Amino acid sequence: MYKILEKKELAMNEIMYKIHAPHIAKKVQPGQFVIMRAFENGERIPLTPVTWDREEGWITLITFIRGRTTLRMNMELNEGDYILNIAGPLGNPAPMKKFGKILAVGLITGIVEVFPIARAWQELGNEVITLHVSPNPMVLLREEFESAVSKHIVEGFDLKEGWGMDEITQELVKRGVKKVKELIEEEKPDFVFTVGPAGGQKMIFNIVKEYGIPMESDLHPIMVDGTGMCGACRVHVGGEVKFACIDGPGFDAYKVDWDELIHRSGFYSDKEKLALEVYLKNLQAQGGAQ
Amino acid sequence: MMARKLIRERIPTPEQDPKERIFNFNEVNLGYTFELAQKEAERCLQCPYDYAPCIKGCPVHIDIPGFIKKLREYREDPDKAVKEALRIIWACNTLPATTGRVCPQEDQCEMNCVMGKVGDKINIGKLERFVADYAREKGIDDELLSEIVPKIERKSQKVAIIGAGPAGLTAVGELAKMGYKVTIFEALHEAGGVLMYGIPEFRLPKAVVKKELETLRRLGVEIKTDHIVGRTVTLEELLEEYDAVFIGSGAGTPRFINAPGVNLNGIYSANEFLTRVNLMRAYKFPEYETPVKVGKKAIVIGAGNTAMDAARTARRLGAEVIVAYRRGEEDVSAREEEVEHAKEEGVKFEFFLNPVEFIGDENGRVKAVRFEKMKPLEERDSRGKRKIVGTGEYVTLEADTVVIAIGKTANKLIASTPGLEVNKGVIKVDENLMTSIEGVFAGGDAIRGEATVILAMGDGRKAAKAIHEYLTKKREEQESA
Repeated sequence: MYKILEKKELAMNEIMYKIHAPHIAKKVQPGQFVIMRAFENGERIPLTPVTWDREEGWITLITFIRGRTTLRMNMELNEGDYILNIAGPLGNPAPMKKFGKILAVGLITGIVEVFPIARAWQELGNEVITLHVSPNPMVLLREEFESAVSKHIVEGFDLKEGWGMDEITQELVKRGVKKVKELIEEEKPDFVFTVGPAGGQKMIFNIVKEYGIPMESDLHPIMVDGTGMCGACRVHVGGEVKFACIDGPGFDAYKVDWDELIHRSGFYSDKEKLALEVYLKNLQAQGGAQ
Repeated sequence: MMARKLIRERIPTPEQDPKERIFNFNEVNLGYTFELAQKEAERCLQCPYDYAPCIKGCPVHIDIPGFIKKLREYREDPDKAVKEALRIIWACNTLPATTGRVCPQEDQCEMNCVMGKVGDKINIGKLERFVADYAREKGIDDELLSEIVPKIERKSQKVAIIGAGPAGLTAVGELAKMGYKVTIFEALHEAGGVLMYGIPEFRLPKAVVKKELETLRRLGVEIKTDHIVGRTVTLEELLEEYDAVFIGSGAGTPRFINAPGVNLNGIYSANEFLTRVNLMRAYKFPEYETPVKVGKKAIVIGAGNTAMDAARTARRLGAEVIVAYRRGEEDVSAREEEVEHAKEEGVKFEFFLNPVEFIGDENGRVKAVRFEKMKPLEERDSRGKRKIVGTGEYVTLEADTVVIAIGKTANKLIASTPGLEVNKGVIKVDENLMTSIEGVFAGGDAIRGEATVILAMGDGRKAAKAIHEYLTKKREEQESA
């Protein structure tokens, strides 16, 4: 049981939880993640610690409210409440070396995962440029980035009425691709790093590839245990089956089978939608009874 | 005194009707009542302790004639009978409700039962299960614990156990009874290992496992979940804090088939499929939030116990199920009872089929599996199974769900500890189960690759003894120094 020390809405639908989890805080390195289970009947979901304090024993996690678990966390968990399980740190730390000039890109909430890695790269002597592509209401961590890296760029756009996740993603990809191309031309980075939805990462990779710049991407396939036990998160990398949880999450973007990753990431979308609808219905029923 | 009359036939245990049980996850075998258990106990010939083949066949050496005798002795007082029987079982095994259900008794305790020469062998597994179940239902286990716990002589030495599966839990039970301060480090959110994530509810109800874990807690054992050794804490760090360590981390990594299309949607490792359904209760989705997708036609590849569990699970989730095995029926490694149960539930078997390609639809979901037909040779391999060769003929079977149950390899997180010698992915141990690092012991699938629950438990018990000897020596050395 891990106590929520602080909860804060950083931007629209972006919720930060500061959690007492000394076993994670003591060990976590930039690039590693945790698996969290918030409720007794809940799923295990991977999340990335954004900041931590090894002495005080806390970590922060940021969730983007999208499905049942993240919505339910926001509805039911507040400061002083407990999260049932947080296991980790899992996965391999991001490669900590001198690349020179780095362009690190985060699509929507992907940016939170970029933060600890970009900061560490900068501290190591790299020149780090970070790019956050996001709808304007969901822009977050702007000041934190500005004080941590050489240059932080926000490519924001307004949400239009009636837009769903599909339209947002389309706009995200369009903007992301355009901006990355511009930045490659202007800044000539030695290395590109991305975090975000697989479809967006693939499109950015297609641009980067044209310039032949080395690129690494953190992958987020569906996971269950996160310890290499189940293989749900497997993806072909360089023709071999790799598990994102124990072999990743960072992989050479040139070797990733992006289409396979995109297919696998969407396998449960109908079930996810159903779970959310059932939860919303229950909420409505409860509201009606009050 | 009148000579005891031989009862040649086994007293059967009631089972759920196959027609009903394929629509639920409730336990298939309903177990003995006290009356039935007594009748079965009456059949036992009561071989002397030094001779009894059942004790010799049991990896944890339970005094089987002894506990059966108690069931007969107190025929008028079922509670007393069960309490005394449980006392005897617990001396060697603190997880009897589990082993009574999942041990392959026909290859172990029951294999050389003398009754087998004149009739049916004694149903030892179901009797063990009866004792554990009756005790749990009547609170007799708690009563017995209250007697045992205060008598334990507490020792100051500390032991860390990595992995809360069958090997670890058995070692823990033994060490806790000896009075050591024991802490278990478990990666998942629930202890139990394969008993929780792998073996289905209809074969081993999770409430049963949880109660056995409760027994261990009452013996003073601390269970730390969410701790991945190798990540959250390293073996080296454990050695700084603990006097000995036991690694029972299991065979944590599933093997996939190196064939095109293996990553199509709808293709699961048995571990993923069973973890979703058992540990995460996906069969209760959306009440439980983890989903699982099973279509109309499922193919399970492999023919071990895990394959049977996957096949029967898929059946209950509404699929027509085919078990496809590259060898013949005689080489099926699953227990006979499991195969029978699967057949009763409508699972079909196809032999001499080796998967060569998984074929997907336009959305990236599997729609068929292409197999090469195999044929057996006279020659046998090192495990005694007949060798097979391809025929060059192929067959394609439709499937929207595929479960790959061809085995697992050891968890690499711990195996990569510096100084820990490993051979082909499994941890190397000496005859006392000590690894290449002093004070670090290992057992179960972590040293065997992939075996059974009870072999892992046998290792746990053996390692506990070795750890006890090691720590006793260490303590004596320190005291004389």
